[in-house]
Amino acid sequence: MNNIVIGQYIPGSSFLYKMDPRSKILALILLMVTTFVLTDIIQILVLLSVLLVILKLGGIPIGRIVKGLRPIIVLLFFTFTFQVLFIKTGRIILDETLHYSFYTILLAVGVVLFWMITKRFIKFKISYFLMMIVGILSIFMYYPIGDPFAQGQLVIYTGGLQGAFFIMVRLIIIVTLSTILTLTTKPTDLTLGLEQLLKPLSIIKVSAEEIALIISIALRYIPTLLDEANKIMLAQASRGVDFKEGKLKDKVVQIISLLVPMFIISFKRSDELANAMEARNFVPGNRRTRLHILTWQTIDTITIIITAITIPVAILLRVMLG
Amino acid sequence: MAIKFTEVSYQYSSPDGSLFDALKNINLDIAKTGEFIALIGETGSGKSTLVQHMNALMKPSSGQVEIYGIKINHSKSKKQKLTPLRQKVGLVFQFPEYQLFEETVMRDIMFGPRNFNISKEEAKQRARKAIIQVGLDESYLERSPFNLSGGEKKRVSIAGILAMEPDILVLDEPTSGLDPKGRDALIDLFTLIHNTYHKTIIIITHDMNIVHQVASRVLVMREGELVFDGTSEALFNNESLNKWNLEEPDLIKMTKQLEQRYSISMRPFPKNIDQLFHHIKDVI
Ligand SMILES: Nc1ncnc2c1ncn2[C@@H]1O[C@H](COP(=O)(O)OP(=O)(O)O)[C@@H](O)[C@H]1O
Ligand SMILES: [Mg+2]
Repeated sequence: MNNIVIGQYIPGSSFLYKMDPRSKILALILLMVTTFVLTDIIQILVLLSVLLVILKLGGIPIGRIVKGLRPIIVLLFFTFTFQVLFIKTGRIILDETLHYSFYTILLAVGVVLFWMITKRFIKFKISYFLMMIVGILSIFMYYPIGDPFAQGQLVIYTGGLQGAFFIMVRLIIIVTLSTILTLTTKPTDLTLGLEQLLKPLSIIKVSAEEIALIISIALRYIPTLLDEANKIMLAQASRGVDFKEGKLKDKVVQIISLLVPMFIISFKRSDELANAMEARNFVPGNRRTRLHILTWQTIDTITIIITAITIPVAILLRVMLG
Repeated sequence: MAIKFTEVSYQYSSPDGSLFDALKNINLDIAKTGEFIALIGETGSGKSTLVQHMNALMKPSSGQVEIYGIKINHSKSKKQKLTPLRQKVGLVFQFPEYQLFEETVMRDIMFGPRNFNISKEEAKQRARKAIIQVGLDESYLERSPFNLSGGEKKRVSIAGILAMEPDILVLDEPTSGLDPKGRDALIDLFTLIHNTYHKTIIIITHDMNIVHQVASRVLVMREGELVFDGTSEALFNNESLNKWNLEEPDLIKMTKQLEQRYSISMRPFPKNIDQLFHHIKDVI
């Protein structure tokens, strides 16, 4: 339960922590735009290395960034595969016939089964998964045992590899950028910054304050609700529910026994919260003073200027090379 | 021994990675039958954490808990079947909101027994019996558990565990939030179960009067450590009572005042009003 961390904030004191959340959010958006404008692999690698330097200076351990990448690993894998398979430009670097016969398919299934059984004991899950994929491909390519009833062609172009690599780096940059933001900014500061940035929306009758309030309440209560869910599971487990096992019908009852108390407790909590807010005379939309006031410093101005400049530079590079 | 704790420690880990010692090196034996144990200590001293180890809901971070011969420790052993233990050691949680979920009280009470493969008919029988035991009448069985008062919810949640017919009954603050009448009724029920079936009962409570009246053995937790394990008489004669922020029960306070006032001795301390009268009669 505890590894689902919504506010990923880890305390620190580097310049990234001293910056105003507004400038961090703006810089994030600007850099994302730049990332999408860039089309050259060298340039995007330069951007990535600049980011790595910022991480180093900002005292953020790379491990935390890698952790942030974990949820998108499946996405990375699929984009990589599609890019490799479907971009047909540049030189051919691999052209092999895949033999689908009874025996090769049997072998492949065997490899998958072996992988499924052994993956529990292997520490590097992702590398192991890739090894399995390579293993299956090489069976189809290099061991044409048996009569193939179908054949396929695996053709990989340099363009495909380059494109795949490029997209991967781009995704990694985007995730790294947002991870830097969430690691160095408290959720409360984040919503406060967002609120201030969304203020102009009040012209079209969208209340930035309410949106920010909703976000901060949600952020505040997610860990609490996870905690409650844990307690409910324990309470039901002591009545004989085995959440790890059960047929489909049992599973449905198990989930109901978790969800119903969950809803009831959430409603109760929100009722209590509403009462507590009302008791302190909270009126939505009224002007309120703040305990923490955001302060815009020179470093924020500099950051915005530098990140803003990257966009025209990127466009210029693109036009010149394009 | 039904439950045996050997050097059990437990740490909660918070999201930022720091650890909090909730149990420190606990050694404890609990017999299969005949014990009436009160577990006391300040809020946050680790009482709830301790009792959740008793039916294998939690696994110790280090050390070992043995429950009815099944050893539970930190090592990721192959799939142990732990659910049967939860029928043997019935644990009632502090807040009924965490477990009530069915449409009717009847179905909710039947939920536990049904999970342990008790037939529908038998489970219904047990529900009828349990609801009476906790001092509510059968008309409650058809009501929704969510429209009950706090005290009634609490009793229904206790009935839900009673219907599983556990060997050992563990209750986490069963009397908190109840009115005096409801509290007395529950304590009477636990005493009755204890006397009739000789089942071991463990209750967490802050009410020293209950401890004095019913407990044959008292466990005191303090900051994750088990600092006292003995009879209630020994506890109330213990010097450290104040240090542990524990109060004396009303009856003992009064007896001590009488002793002082009239320079008499009324030992052993009376357990109830009757015994107090006896003492007074003796003196007169
Ligand atoms: N899920 C949890 N995560 C982190 N700390 C916890 C958790 N549950 C309890 N604790 C801490 O462990 C200590 C013991 O808690 P608990 O066993 O509930 O105490 P008690 O029941 O005596 O009031 C408390 O200080 C509490 O803050
Ligand atoms: Mg507790």
